[in-house]
Amino acid sequence: MSAEDTLRFAITALLQQPRRAGLSLLGVVIGVVAVVFLTALGEGARRYVTEQFQTLGTDIIVVIPGKTETTGMMPGFTGTPNDLTLADATALLRRIPEAIRIAPISMGSETVSYENKARQVVILGSTPEFFELRGIPIALGTGLPEGDIDRGANVAVLGRETARELFAGENPVGKSIRIGEWRIRVVGVNGPRGTHLGQNLDEVSIVPVATGMRMFNRTSLFRIMIELRPGSNTDTVKRKIEEVILDRHNEVDVTCVTPDSVVDSLSAIVSTLTLVLVGIATISLAVAGIGIMNVMLVAVSERRAEVGLLKAVGATHRQVLQIFLMESLVISTTGALVGLGVGYATVHFATWLYPAMPAESPLWAVLAVLGLSVCAGAFFGVLPARRAMRLDPIVALSSKG
Amino acid sequence: MGEQTLHALKAVTETIGTGEHVSIIGPSGSGKSTLLNILGCLDKPSRGRYFFDGRAVEGLDPDELAQLRLNEIGFIFQSFHLVPRLDATANVELPMTLAGIARAERRERAREALEAVGLGDRAGHRPAELSGGQKQRVAIARAVSMEPRLLLADEPTGNLDTQSGEQILNLLEALNHKGLTLAVVTHDPEVARRGSRILEMRDGEIIRRLTAAEINDANPSFDRGRSGARL
Repeated sequence: MSAEDTLRFAITALLQQPRRAGLSLLGVVIGVVAVVFLTALGEGARRYVTEQFQTLGTDIIVVIPGKTETTGMMPGFTGTPNDLTLADATALLRRIPEAIRIAPISMGSETVSYENKARQVVILGSTPEFFELRGIPIALGTGLPEGDIDRGANVAVLGRETARELFAGENPVGKSIRIGEWRIRVVGVNGPRGTHLGQNLDEVSIVPVATGMRMFNRTSLFRIMIELRPGSNTDTVKRKIEEVILDRHNEVDVTCVTPDSVVDSLSAIVSTLTLVLVGIATISLAVAGIGIMNVMLVAVSERRAEVGLLKAVGATHRQVLQIFLMESLVISTTGALVGLGVGYATVHFATWLYPAMPAESPLWAVLAVLGLSVCAGAFFGVLPARRAMRLDPIVALSSKG
Repeated sequence: MGEQTLHALKAVTETIGTGEHVSIIGPSGSGKSTLLNILGCLDKPSRGRYFFDGRAVEGLDPDELAQLRLNEIGFIFQSFHLVPRLDATANVELPMTLAGIARAERRERAREALEAVGLGDRAGHRPAELSGGQKQRVAIARAVSMEPRLLLADEPTGNLDTQSGEQILNLLEALNHKGLTLAVVTHDPEVARRGSRILEMRDGEIIRRLTAAEINDANPSFDRGRSGARL
């Protein structure tokens, strides 16, 4: 009996009970859709972050106060980390030859008001370099004033959304606004930049870094961004940064983060997540396989007369086994293919809904779930098929059907 | 009662020659179906031997038996045993499908076999759309599709009206005249007397053997007028 004939025979048998076959197939479909969709989301998240960092440039190091190792401990025992100060920032720029630009950042949230309009806005304190580092264009007026970073002028560059909401068409440049209790003069307005690294840069307001620190009564910077000469070895630079900090703080109480390391650790998380998903898929496909087995056991007992006939007209044990095994395989394979179709359609819909997230299922996960579905069909089809194979033809022929 | 081994057949020694038309009669439980199953290699005797075409069947493995059933033996059943979801052609094709014969050739041979039993115009019908007599004719076409040497029929007219039964018997007779060895199990004396030889069974034994001459010799138990009265 050729494989094609076995397949055709299996399909006619399954079409005889379309609802039953359909329901047992549904289990496989759901398992496959879940894996395709969820792995696509994980992969989408990874790509999203990677893209964000790519626009930032890879020659960036971010220095964050506090050591990652100390975070799990009680602060009282390890001592709070020393402040990361503007002096540290200038020292880093001076002592690290690879650093071509440096942007110390302070951050907080304040109410920004103009006349009778007020709005809660994220306030970033930084330097003119920040605009270049983050690729923020200036649409109106000027950027932050150049000069001594310790001397915080009471000026601000508004995000375009903030400017639009507070000034409603009026030119904000030169106007006086309030940020909290502070009277601030608007010197410029951002051009569109959109959401970058989780911050909607159209909605922030940027003030000089020292102004920011005073405003929020902080002695420590939020972080320091350092742009390196292209092609610099980030590991070497990291070590130099740590030396400078050790000199100044007597301990290395900062963490250096590079886009690569963020992407790497996120990739590791996503890979683990995908593995877990495939594990869950294995379980759900095993459940689906048991469903297939159940349906096939019913089919075998209903078609005993057919099995008897097949044997009487000369089917070998092997052929009977193949015929019934083929039916389980057709169910599981069809389920897997339908699941892939539905899964991809769902992913497509999701990316259409959230274009920022380039969701796509990794090929290996797709292949793994396909393989698992087919294996589930084969594995759980064996028992019913063996039962058919072992039927005594004489007894089977005497049953109705 | 407890466990007790029942022997459906006791001492049966019989030779069926090539081209014979043997009728096997007897009441229910007389062992005639068991004998037929052994002849058809579906069952093996727990004791004793069965030679098919000179080969001792008990020495064959299940695959060889299947091969024998596929190529040398055709079966016809009282309840037809057509596969309900397949049309007449596909049912006739079934043994050829198992044998791995190419689709086009199968189609052609199934069409010829259906025409030979007068169902050329019913090739695309499913069993549910066929009458009992037509179903049995499809079953005959299936049974002879692999050109077997032995055709076994278990009550082939048992579910049919007289007219359809007559058609079926004529078909079987015609096949027998072409050289196919035929064994028919029945308890209808009318059917039995079409054979060239009758084996009458009771309690697992052949209690009477009648030849064609004896059947036609106005044997009272096979008298047309009293058929069925005694058996």
